[in-house]
Amino acid sequence: MLEAAKETLARIRALPLTGRVRIMNVCGGHERTISMAGLRAALPENVELIAGPGCPVCVCPEEDVHDAIALSRLANVTLVAFGDMLRVPANVPKAEPRSLEAAKAAGADVRPIASPREAAAIARASPAREVVFFAAGFETTTAPVAAMIAEGVPSNLSVLLSGRKTWPAVAMLLDSEQPGFDALVAPGHVSAIMGPEEWRFVPERHGLPAAVAGFEADSLLEAFHSVLRQHLEHRAILDNCYTAVAKPGGNPTARRLIADVLDVVDANWRGIGVIAGSGFALKPELERLDARRRFALDPAAGRKRVGQMPPGCDCARVVLGKIKPNECALYGKACTPRNPVGPCMVSDEGACRIRWAAGLRDGAAAKS
Amino acid sequence: MCLGVPMRVVERDGFNARCEVNGIERTVSLFLLQHEDVAPGDHVMVHVGYAIQKMSEAQAKATWDLLGEAFAAEPDA
Repeated sequence: MLEAAKETLARIRALPLTGRVRIMNVCGGHERTISMAGLRAALPENVELIAGPGCPVCVCPEEDVHDAIALSRLANVTLVAFGDMLRVPANVPKAEPRSLEAAKAAGADVRPIASPREAAAIARASPAREVVFFAAGFETTTAPVAAMIAEGVPSNLSVLLSGRKTWPAVAMLLDSEQPGFDALVAPGHVSAIMGPEEWRFVPERHGLPAAVAGFEADSLLEAFHSVLRQHLEHRAILDNCYTAVAKPGGNPTARRLIADVLDVVDANWRGIGVIAGSGFALKPELERLDARRRFALDPAAGRKRVGQMPPGCDCARVVLGKIKPNECALYGKACTPRNPVGPCMVSDEGACRIRWAAGLRDGAAAKS
Repeated sequence: MCLGVPMRVVERDGFNARCEVNGIERTVSLFLLQHEDVAPGDHVMVHVGYAIQKMSEAQAKATWDLLGEAFAAEPDA
């Protein structure tokens, strides 16, 4: 650990904390740094770090995964998606492929991509095929998708959009009877796009301390120190510990492009349900780019599937920070990174996958 | 998916920029930075192939140091 981080940690340890303080993060990147740098063990006993809704892959609704698999099996379709999406399982009859990876193994043309630019390039390189971009992600990923659309895409490219906004899920938790946390560390790159101001509602409406953090241990520790001090002083504000990148107002071009091509709509979160104003949809005038319309997917068939997690899988409560990964009955038993049952064990941003990679094996071995 | 990597702009052609980190070069879109002047030598935070914010050299270096070799070697992460 670097000197700056050590010094911040010393300042945290010197705080006169008495009761338990639960700090939630809503970003897979934050959770990865926390787990890999061992920050839980480094913090005082009564500080609890909770991984909240920070994994877009984990909350991507089952009906969207199902639609993506169905589209990939069409003879003239090439389906492209961020790599994490390929292994996300859907509930299907035994004879059918349960993930895009399984569809690929059965002969479908499914390709992992690392950038929306690749989706457009693949479509340009294969004009005889229909290329469907299955685009799941939070604002940080939705902005590049909006940029790709605004820049102009080839006519054989369509988008199966599963974009989500981060703050409405936190607002939903805070509006519930038991939010389950006392302070929030807000996501750095979502704030870089949308502006840190989006998180003001946390202190202003709910009286909870909040701080925007970057992805390095020292930025996260600065944010922990900020919210703990606010907590002690009963003075909740929105602090910004990632000013280098999360600038006031965010990224004006990104916000304009998102507003130009996308509408904000109510959206389903897998295992959690519909959250008002939490999703993105293509503007009506861009419906020619909508894979759901181009391929006349039946929305009624999708609705039947709404909210389903795999049987026995507790991912929904893990995503909401209600339970820790190792409190799921399947964790490390039926569900491992090699044979994942739920999306939280699939995605590099899933709390289960991250904690497993960091060595969390069972309840007895773990300091929460 | 929200992890970004700071990169240095080597060359710019319209909205395309050749960017470098740790000896690895990638073509990065500047389409999301239309409100900024971006020139060779500048540093940008790159996420899924798009520069999402301009940052100072000192900030980029600090992030490289903190992210360590593992992240720097995987600019697509």
